[in-house]
Amino acid sequence: MVFFVRGLVAVPDAVERHGGKRRKTMEISERMRKARLVFYEQDIEEVNKILADFLDRSQAKCALLIDKEGHLVTKKGFTKSFNTDSIAALVAGSFAATKQVAQLLGETEFTVLFHQGKNENIHIALVAERALVVVIFDDRTTLGMVRLYADELTQRLTDSMLRSFDRNKDKDEGVGKEFADAADQALDDFFGPTK
Amino acid sequence: MVQINFASREINCKIVYYGPGRCGKTTNLQLVHEKAPANSTGELVSIATETDRTLYFDFLPLDLGTVAGMRTKFQLYTVPGQVYYDATRKLVLQGCDGVVFVADSNPDLMAENIESLDNLATNLRENGLDIMDLPMVLQFNKRDLPKTMSIEEMNAKLNRNNWPVVEAVAVNGDGVFQTLKAISQGVIKRLNREQGYNDEGKKPARASALAGNARTAPTASISNAHPAVPGRGPAPPTPSSRFSSPPARGPSPQTASARIAPPGTRPPNPQTASARIAPPPTRSPSPTASARTAPPVARPPSTQIPSGRVPPPTPRSPTAPSFTKPNPTLQPKPSTARFATKSATPTIKPPSAQNAPAQGGETAAPNPFRNRLAEIRSQSTDASARSAAGDESQDNVASNEAPQPRKGCLGRVIKGGAAVALLLASAAYYLLR
Repeated sequence: MVFFVRGLVAVPDAVERHGGKRRKTMEISERMRKARLVFYEQDIEEVNKILADFLDRSQAKCALLIDKEGHLVTKKGFTKSFNTDSIAALVAGSFAATKQVAQLLGETEFTVLFHQGKNENIHIALVAERALVVVIFDDRTTLGMVRLYADELTQRLTDSMLRSFDRNKDKDEGVGKEFADAADQALDDFFGPTK
Repeated sequence: MVQINFASREINCKIVYYGPGRCGKTTNLQLVHEKAPANSTGELVSIATETDRTLYFDFLPLDLGTVAGMRTKFQLYTVPGQVYYDATRKLVLQGCDGVVFVADSNPDLMAENIESLDNLATNLRENGLDIMDLPMVLQFNKRDLPKTMSIEEMNAKLNRNNWPVVEAVAVNGDGVFQTLKAISQGVIKRLNREQGYNDEGKKPARASALAGNARTAPTASISNAHPAVPGRGPAPPTPSSRFSSPPARGPSPQTASARIAPPGTRPPNPQTASARIAPPPTRSPSPTASARTAPPVARPPSTQIPSGRVPPPTPRSPTAPSFTKPNPTLQPKPSTARFATKSATPTIKPPSAQNAPAQGGETAAPNPFRNRLAEIRSQSTDASARSAAGDESQDNVASNEAPQPRKGCLGRVIKGGAAVALLLASAAYYLLR
């Protein structure tokens, strides 16, 4: 009887807490979707640690975090043989195209993509609705193993990005006035002065 | 949207070349790829059809160099111009920071220019952007055609927001870099405005917040060299820009274009060994291509940004100011070196090295995946054993709790005793009450 009564009290509490947390997360994602992505050292260190941990466990070759616009955020693992800038741009394009296909099928978007090759494979997953984590792996591991740990990776990266977004939302995201001045000069140096 | 990465000290901007089909968007990128310094551009990637039309986009990363301690990179994209590819055009515009609208100067194609500009406005709106608010440059291309529309007329028809205008003959390189410079300036100005600086460089609020943060504040390497911009006269005489010496650039494996396609898809260009991602087609010379070879007519003087800015190719001389002093903008990309050293210490460990005491029972399995498998197996065997024993009360508990190792006879006796004690206690409670 005592346990039952305690249960009755506890259950609505838990639901409310869970619901509250979920609402908060969605609200942050909505703001994240519109805000500029700014990464500080602490954020990247945290992401790098998560990626390294994932690579260690999944035995994948490398992992990249890119934003949805195709800009590379950070990378970990054997990336020397890849042109990561181009990979980032093409993967973002591929993801965007697949999103349209998903919408034609009545889905919002496909959160996971997988491309299989003869030697190299790519696993792409959405992170915090704003970034993509790209895992490149070969036959030293298996798709099952990558997928198993990629689920956890996605969750950890999402949490990390939400945390960093919360941490940085009040920071001045600017690069300083000196950047604009120096950029003017750099453009002149690069392209020649404007008459 | 401009991405700022303080950890790697990078700023990434996305610029999209837009315009009707066959107006010269891809040609713009090809020229930038050809003439920009080898260490400033990456691969030119193109997703094209059999007939060499852009299917999805062309992509060229351009590294401006280190600006105020931040490595500034522009990612240049083109869209497919054909009406049919509207969906992909919209995708490429996603998150762009600036648009170059390339218009064909042929008067017969003005309707297509206008249609494409309207389409740009629509697609930007659908991506949550406003054409009137976004940095934009108009490039009037193919000014060397025998029959061209006048600048004033084109301005009247296309220039809806006093956008900067550049005349160009992209196939020769004329006006290509002025366009790129104009849009780069627009993007940086907008970035500055978004941070709260006005055009005079004053920031009403939050101006010193970043400066106080030692961890995030970028080091002003260039601003020291050129301290006062408003009073800055004509920059140190640098008549030759970094593009002044294209012939000096030899083929480099990094910059060799990745347009994967058999030869013959495009007239062979000795400077760019570019090949598109496309199956082998045979392309007949297009009418516009032949028109481009027509002798150039006298060009009217531009009222806007003067064209023909790309200087004539001169050999890279040590007297050129851009190259005489160690310029921080010209440093080679450090990424190669960084990852070259990384390759010596591989991150991926061989499975044997990961868990040395592999013989030590279940928990010391050599592979984490096997660990997990063993865990899942033990859970499933536990559950099946319990259901086989027919102990309903235990099953109910087990389904709600975390799986535990199975207890022996003693555990059952204790549990039974506890249940009896509970019953006795409740009976005593009711009796006493």
